[in-house]
Amino acid sequence: MITDARRRPGIERAFAVAAVVGGVLAVIAGSPTRPTRGSVDVTELARIVEHEEDHVTATELAKWIRDDKRGLRVLDIRADSEFDDFHIPGATRVPLAEIARMPLDSAGTYVLYSEGGTHAAQGWFLLRARGVKNVFFLRGGLYEWLEQVMNPRVASTTPQAERDSIRAITLWFGGKMTVVDSTTTTTTPSALDGELSAPHKSDARETIRKIRRRAC
Amino acid sequence: MMAPLYEFGRFGDGTGLVIAVLLGIAFGWFLEQGGMGNARKLAGQFYFTDLSVLKLMFTAIVTAMLGLFWLSWAGLLDLSRVYVPETFIAPQLVGGLVFGVGFATGGLCPGTSCVAAATGRKDGLALIAGMFAGVFVFGEAFPAIGHFADSTARGAWTLPQAVGLSYGTVVGVMVAVALGAFAGAEWLERRAERPAHRMKIAA
Repeated sequence: MITDARRRPGIERAFAVAAVVGGVLAVIAGSPTRPTRGSVDVTELARIVEHEEDHVTATELAKWIRDDKRGLRVLDIRADSEFDDFHIPGATRVPLAEIARMPLDSAGTYVLYSEGGTHAAQGWFLLRARGVKNVFFLRGGLYEWLEQVMNPRVASTTPQAERDSIRAITLWFGGKMTVVDSTTTTTTPSALDGELSAPHKSDARETIRKIRRRAC
Repeated sequence: MMAPLYEFGRFGDGTGLVIAVLLGIAFGWFLEQGGMGNARKLAGQFYFTDLSVLKLMFTAIVTAMLGLFWLSWAGLLDLSRVYVPETFIAPQLVGGLVFGVGFATGGLCPGTSCVAAATGRKDGLALIAGMFAGVFVFGEAFPAIGHFADSTARGAWTLPQAVGLSYGTVVGVMVAVALGAFAGAEWLERRAERPAHRMKIAA
């Protein structure tokens, strides 16, 4: 209402001018996010990779999640549908492109995983380049998680204490440990050993389906 | 520190609810201060005699839009974590029409009916009752209309995506549209103040 005595034309004009300035600058800026530049110390990165300090095992990650490790953020860089199907508890779905520009907590610990390990390793590089020190990836990806945490197969010769520790973790995440007769297998078979090829996608799907059924 | 603070776990659900209550009270307070609890004032918009609602809405939109854009640009806000309501074109057109009829008839929208009720206005209370009745009827009728309610889904669809322009350009255009709307609204209000026009409305 123009007869309102509380109106202050001066202030209104100032606000209008501020809006115009903000709007015009926005057109010039174009995008609300600025390009992210990072830099890496190549020697340092090579050393980290060589010393295998760039990744965690699924079991380590499981312990971190269980113990509520301070500042831990687990990032799932698979497709939305795959994430909806199954993901590591507490993980956030983040597309790889988002890794390049998402806000970061430089003091946090980031763990990346993909289906295998390649995309996660690439994401690891991006986060390192953006200056995060504590970044790790799951080398065997979700396959490794399914094998080591959700459905571990432990040889019957494995010491009782170690077996109990594995069972405790597996039960915590709602998985199921199987004891395998040591005469048929001497070690825990793993996709990482190189003796076994990485499981097929359909195998992983089948495992996920079983886990989901169990949860219901 | 990065916003949205809740999304980044800076506070939990309990604190979030307390903050929501405080923000809600502040929102209602300022709506009332702006005269938005008065159905006559709100209805004036549909007769082009008082366009306070239009000016208030556009002010809020432009303020929030510029704030979000520049906070994101400054690296203080992660826009991808800001919730964007999903678009369902056909059901939202019908919903908008129903909403508009209710707004013009009752003189209040859901938010302002709460404000009106809080100050003891009976029309506000009646509209809140209507709102709950509407929610109930919609819920009961959902099996029959659910198919339509879910149709023409576009997901979280933003203006820059829809028109294929950059965020910044859309922000600039919206500022221009808002300022144009303010000028137009003031002109309409001045016209409504003129005695000759008043007579015409009365007749």
